Amino acid sequence: MRIDHTHKKWFIASVALLALAGAAYAWSAWSSPHGPKGGSALGLTFGIVGSAFMLFAGLLAPRKKVPVWRAGRAQTWMRGHLWLGLLSLPLILFHGGFHFGGTLSTVLMVLLIFVTASGVFGAALQHYLPELMTREVPLETIFEEIDHVRAQLRAEADQIASAACGSLGLAAGPEEPTDTSDSRLAGGTTAYKQPTAAASVAVLAVTEEECAPLRSFYLREMRPFLENPGARSHPLGDAAQARSVFQELRRRLPPAAHDALKDLEDICEEERQLNRQARLHYWLHGWLLLHVPLSLALLLLGAVHAAMALRY
Amino acid sequence: MSAGGQALRQVELTIDGKKVVVPEGTTVFDAARLNAISIPTLCHQQNEAPVGVCRVCVVDVGARVFTAACVRAVEPGMVVTTNSEKVRRARRTLVELLMSDHPSPCARQQHSRDCELETLAKLEGITQPRFAPRSTSRGKDDSSLSIAVAFDACILCDRCIRGCNDIRGNLVLGRTGKGAQTGIAFDHNRPMGESTCVSCGECMVSCPTGALTNKGTVHAALGPDARPVTSEELLQLPVFKGVSGTFLELNKGAIVQRHFQRGDMVCREGEYGSTAFYILEGQAQVSISSPIAHVKTDGGARGFLSRLKSSLARRQEDRREEEAQQRYIPTDGPVDLAYENPVAELGPGDLFGEMTCMNYYPRSATVRAQTDCTMLEMLRNVLDILQKNKTFREQLEGTYRQRALDSHLRGVPIFAGLTDDFINHLRETVELTRYAPGEVICRQGEPADSFYLVRLGFVKVSETYPGGELVLAYLSRGNYFGEIGLLGVGQRSATCTALDHVELVRIASADFQLMMGWFPQVRRSLEAVAQERLQQNRERLSLVRSVPLDRFLAQGLMEAQSLLILNLENCTRCDACVRACADAHDGVTRLVREGLRFDKYLVATSCRQCRDPLCMVGCPVGSIRRRHSLEVIIEDWCIGCGLCARNCPYGNINLHPFEVTQGEPALPGREMAVIQQKATSCDLCTGHKEPSCVYACPHDAAHRVNPREFFARTLGSPTAGVPES
Repeated sequence: MRIDHTHKKWFIASVALLALAGAAYAWSAWSSPHGPKGGSALGLTFGIVGSAFMLFAGLLAPRKKVPVWRAGRAQTWMRGHLWLGLLSLPLILFHGGFHFGGTLSTVLMVLLIFVTASGVFGAALQHYLPELMTREVPLETIFEEIDHVRAQLRAEADQIASAACGSLGLAAGPEEPTDTSDSRLAGGTTAYKQPTAAASVAVLAVTEEECAPLRSFYLREMRPFLENPGARSHPLGDAAQARSVFQELRRRLPPAAHDALKDLEDICEEERQLNRQARLHYWLHGWLLLHVPLSLALLLLGAVHAAMALRY
Repeated sequence: MSAGGQALRQVELTIDGKKVVVPEGTTVFDAARLNAISIPTLCHQQNEAPVGVCRVCVVDVGARVFTAACVRAVEPGMVVTTNSEKVRRARRTLVELLMSDHPSPCARQQHSRDCELETLAKLEGITQPRFAPRSTSRGKDDSSLSIAVAFDACILCDRCIRGCNDIRGNLVLGRTGKGAQTGIAFDHNRPMGESTCVSCGECMVSCPTGALTNKGTVHAALGPDARPVTSEELLQLPVFKGVSGTFLELNKGAIVQRHFQRGDMVCREGEYGSTAFYILEGQAQVSISSPIAHVKTDGGARGFLSRLKSSLARRQEDRREEEAQQRYIPTDGPVDLAYENPVAELGPGDLFGEMTCMNYYPRSATVRAQTDCTMLEMLRNVLDILQKNKTFREQLEGTYRQRALDSHLRGVPIFAGLTDDFINHLRETVELTRYAPGEVICRQGEPADSFYLVRLGFVKVSETYPGGELVLAYLSRGNYFGEIGLLGVGQRSATCTALDHVELVRIASADFQLMMGWFPQVRRSLEAVAQERLQQNRERLSLVRSVPLDRFLAQGLMEAQSLLILNLENCTRCDACVRACADAHDGVTRLVREGLRFDKYLVATSCRQCRDPLCMVGCPVGSIRRRHSLEVIIEDWCIGCGLCARNCPYGNINLHPFEVTQGEPALPGREMAVIQQKATSCDLCTGHKEPSCVYACPHDAAHRVNPREFFARTLGSPTAGVPES
């Protein structure tokens, strides 16, 4: 979620609450001869409020599981998650008087610090990365569709290259799923039409000799890049290097092949964008792999800590 | 006699030493033929205009170079030599050149040994051409069901092109490429099977070589259980009177006879096919088994934890704004079905499945044999020929006038009050007219001379304005047009174009005016409709004229009432909106988080009420249309075939499955649960204050906006640029 001016109220309220809690803590620390204690009335209040904030922050996940329940807008929950979750750290520190205490409470404090830190890190990522992705990946697609789009790009590139250079001798890849409900394929009790095969008319725009550089480049450089676009060291994976590679090819090829070359260059650019999107997507959501389990552990151990504190 | 009635001048010339006299304008080739002098040729045949491309008919007329006899007109005193050593040598060289670019033996030579080129080569004693053959293959096209194309065997004589365009008027074949790359092409160089070819076979008949040959696989495509019908048997049927026996022979297997026992399924609604049926004997029942109901979303507003629930509701249970009052459901047959009881009967002489056959639309209804039936099932090439056949047309039109005109007219609520007398009058006077895809029926500004009722196909109604063209409506069976011009200033207010194979019932101006005079109520209703349509058109045009952003216009965004936009700088691509939509609609999402980008906004795919609503084209039962507000409404009689969902370029129409119980025809009295689909589009989560997609977005990225206000404010002045999507 982008932290912008729309968070002003939450920010003011959080700062006010923190100031109030800080003042109370300072007063308690000054007035109590043994310093602030977690078991004191104020210390317990800090603990209860801090735990309540943590619990509220933790309820965001179940809230997301029931999106149509009219239990408050999801963005309100998210804002509460961010600000109250953040506030819970100073409140718990006030609760413990900035001491980590025994083993369990130390573990809890460490967990809370990690959860808060990972949350802040995640919030920062989600603040900056969407804008970056919007700017750098104009050809963005749905993340789950990336593999499918890549397969289509490969097929398109093969088609362009073979139209320019003749048969490439590539082994046929796995068939793309086809829509069998097409009118011409439907069966039932009525007639069907055979699947239409594209007319096998090769368009040889240039001679074999003239297109040799393109053919060689496609088979040795571009096709491997399309098959494994994640390879960081590949020259086509870098926009500047790719530009110079294509510039050099353009110089060596006759003008009749330039259109095909431009299409292939565009395909490489789209591949790079899909790569970028995939990487940014992992960053956008990858931090949750740390944040969520730690939060769960924190809530569980927090509950144990509360039970033990009440019992003993 | 000339066309003007004057006698043509006679011309005397000498051919191979023989003095001949022929009318002026005769070609040398015809002059020789008329005098029993044979000149070999490949590109010329008597039923086609000569083009002189193969040059095999070269003759010496004493000029600097030899000339092609098929295109050279005779001249007085001309001395023609057709068989000198020089001419024979030239002809032989030409044949050798053609043979070097022709696989020998070609498919035709292999099957019937009558390839004209190879026969000629044999006569000339050519066994091995002196010239090197082409190094690469020109390819082949096996995409057509009935005709195989071997480009290698083509000698570019253009006989097929002239056969297709000049003789049949189908305008499918042409030439493509230059120099050595020249070849024949279907439409804009599409595979034959994907082109608009009707497989009439004329190109195949015209081809002198094995470039276009009969695949002989049509029968297999119509199924092994069908009985092939010979051309002799067909010609004995009255409806085939006048159809070319050669055509039927060449298309053997493209029409078969089927026997159905009582209760047998002939075709099922929503299913795709490519054939039409003609009933020879017996009765069949045509019906719609899909529940006549629309998708209604309930719940939401009742409480904190309430969920939305989609269900099927009939018109009586849930009235929607601007719901059609139609009493009849259009079908792809000679009868329409009553809304209350969508069942009707078909009998001998009835043709059904025309739309499926001609335009590949899904079947509009289920047809079962009510008694033992015999039917002819035919492919498009046969139906196309039949529809051009006078006898068949007369019978078809007669059946329509007697059986369907009544329900067709009365199916339109405005005409429900017409008396039997007047309908009987119309039976005699209406004209059934056909239009090919893309043909303009009437143009904006032309004098209005008729009123039209759509019987088959889809008509696009559009209006031109300074910025382009706005599609006002797509009209299908049961819709009408032309009343605005006839009731108003006498000029067409919009251009109407056939989108596919369209058949219209044309009521001439005089009959229309007679109807207006006899039935003042109909006149008042039509005037009201005309006024309403004009008002809507004015509003739509004012809407698009006032919008400066061309790309919005092109995408139809400004016509939307409400757009779901995602602020991409806030959106973390978590898909909470999509999950919420699916959760709100029984697991079927009605939005996809992909679409056009404008600046930092993504216009997610959720119905946007396009300028050109392609979703409405092809609906076999005409159940999808626009409300006056441009919003899409899907009527109760949607059969769930899914064509609208496939046609929508933005993926904004979904199919929602419902479990319903239906009677099992094979087991009377028994009911079984089946899944029936209904088309749906975004309902803005009826009952909720805010759509679920927006409500569930945790990042303040999803918003439902009025595009005109939102983009005017966000993207600024009329000159503001819109980034590329």
